[in-house]
Amino acid sequence: MELTEQEIGTCVTLAPVGKFNLVSAPPVKARIDALVAGGKVKIVVDLGGVDFIDSSGLGALIGGLKAARQHGGDVRIACAGEQVRAVLKLTNLDRILSPYPTVEEALHDW
Amino acid sequence: MTSITTAPQLADAFAAAGGGERFDRVIRLAQAIFGTPIAALNLVGEDEQHTIAAVGMRTGDRPVEESICQYTVQQAGLMEVPDLRADERFADNPIVAGGPRLRFYAGVPLSGPSGRRVGALCILDLVPRELGPLEHKMLADLGAVVERELAIEAEMYRAGDVQRRLLPAAPPDVPGLEMAGLVRQAREAGGDFYDWQVIPGSPRGRRHDDPATAATHELVQVTLADVMGKGLPASLLASEMRAVLRTHSRYVPLDIAVARTSETTEASLTGNGAFVTLWTGRLDPIDGTLTYVDAGHGLAAIVSERGVRRLAQDHLPLGLPVLDEWKLGMDVLALDEMLVVVSDGVFNVFDDSLDRAMSALQRTAAWAETNRKSVAAVARSILDYADSHGASDDLTAVVVRRNATTA
Repeated sequence: MELTEQEIGTCVTLAPVGKFNLVSAPPVKARIDALVAGGKVKIVVDLGGVDFIDSSGLGALIGGLKAARQHGGDVRIACAGEQVRAVLKLTNLDRILSPYPTVEEALHDW
Repeated sequence: MTSITTAPQLADAFAAAGGGERFDRVIRLAQAIFGTPIAALNLVGEDEQHTIAAVGMRTGDRPVEESICQYTVQQAGLMEVPDLRADERFADNPIVAGGPRLRFYAGVPLSGPSGRRVGALCILDLVPRELGPLEHKMLADLGAVVERELAIEAEMYRAGDVQRRLLPAAPPDVPGLEMAGLVRQAREAGGDFYDWQVIPGSPRGRRHDDPATAATHELVQVTLADVMGKGLPASLLASEMRAVLRTHSRYVPLDIAVARTSETTEASLTGNGAFVTLWTGRLDPIDGTLTYVDAGHGLAAIVSERGVRRLAQDHLPLGLPVLDEWKLGMDVLALDEMLVVVSDGVFNVFDDSLDRAMSALQRTAAWAETNRKSVAAVARSILDYADSHGASDDLTAVVVRRNATTA
């Protein structure tokens, strides 16, 4: 899975592309952990390029969110497509991982 | 594999599980290293020898009497036959006397778990030859690689077998209720499970030791849960979830059982970066009262040909960094209705569209009603539908119906 990364001020955006599942989730989770360990705790995951997410993908986001929050930061998600939003809503995970329409809006108060 | 006692039975079981790229890879290596036209992985079963991976010959079965490897498995170390035609055991063998007219054989016996020799990794040539000590060592090393793969396969199979035995074998015999549950794991083991248990006591909380309600007012608790992820790691956590929820459910109201399950399993779940979606409900077989907790599962519904009511709440799954307060929802299951709970693997084939999934459920209910289908047939038809529409995840369905005639 392709994963592009960009630093915007004190924040970092991660943009995975393709299916976000058992195979592709661990590298994303590992990258978030590495960022948090390096002091970058404000992370936006741009899901615009993700056409499918499963429970492993959700697990990577939740795990990343937990790590970031423990260090005073957060993980936010942006540009989630229809399937991603449907799965977040079904599992009520949108309550703690609410999708922002754009990366800019996710970054607005950081 | 639990009833398997002899090496040939074990070989037959391995063969039934099939070959695969991991075996093909070793065979290709063997063929390239030794420069023989043929390399094969043969499992010596009770009646047949199964070639599950091969280069230069077809995979498939042949009678065990024609097997050369049947002699290899009788010895601890490598068997080499420099000229098959000069060995009276093999001179009349169809592949020596006829067919490819093979002359040379070398095979290393392969041990399965507990040391039973189940087959051989062998190389064959059209001309007589002899291997040197280094080549003997290399063939034995390749055999060890295959043995390792066989051991992993046996271990995974056993793990899946244990998990299948942890699922309820048959629904509890409760007058007035018909129940069926079905799981198809995408791999040998997985993170989906369902469960049911009879909870003594009345809905108002009277205990089973209250003589006024003893043995007359049992509730049935139905659970379907999905541990994030797939395979063996998810199945380990699923076993813990099931045991903990069962234990708490026995003694306390449902919402408290879920909260305590969350507390008890928090360390295991967060330590493994996992979460669990869970739907669990208690049904009164006599009046159809259903209390439930939906912890981020979202895929339970009461269905009939008249319509579908989702039994969904806003609660979070278990194992998240934010703890939730799980409150009871309530509904009533009428006599012509079914309670259906499925896993997200079933939901996926509807492109994760609730509207499509719910209207498909309504059609299933109408079909079941018209054709007087059993709850087991309904559960099967739901999984069959998902299977035939490209499901790739674990699939689970539980179906419960009240039965007017015995209620």
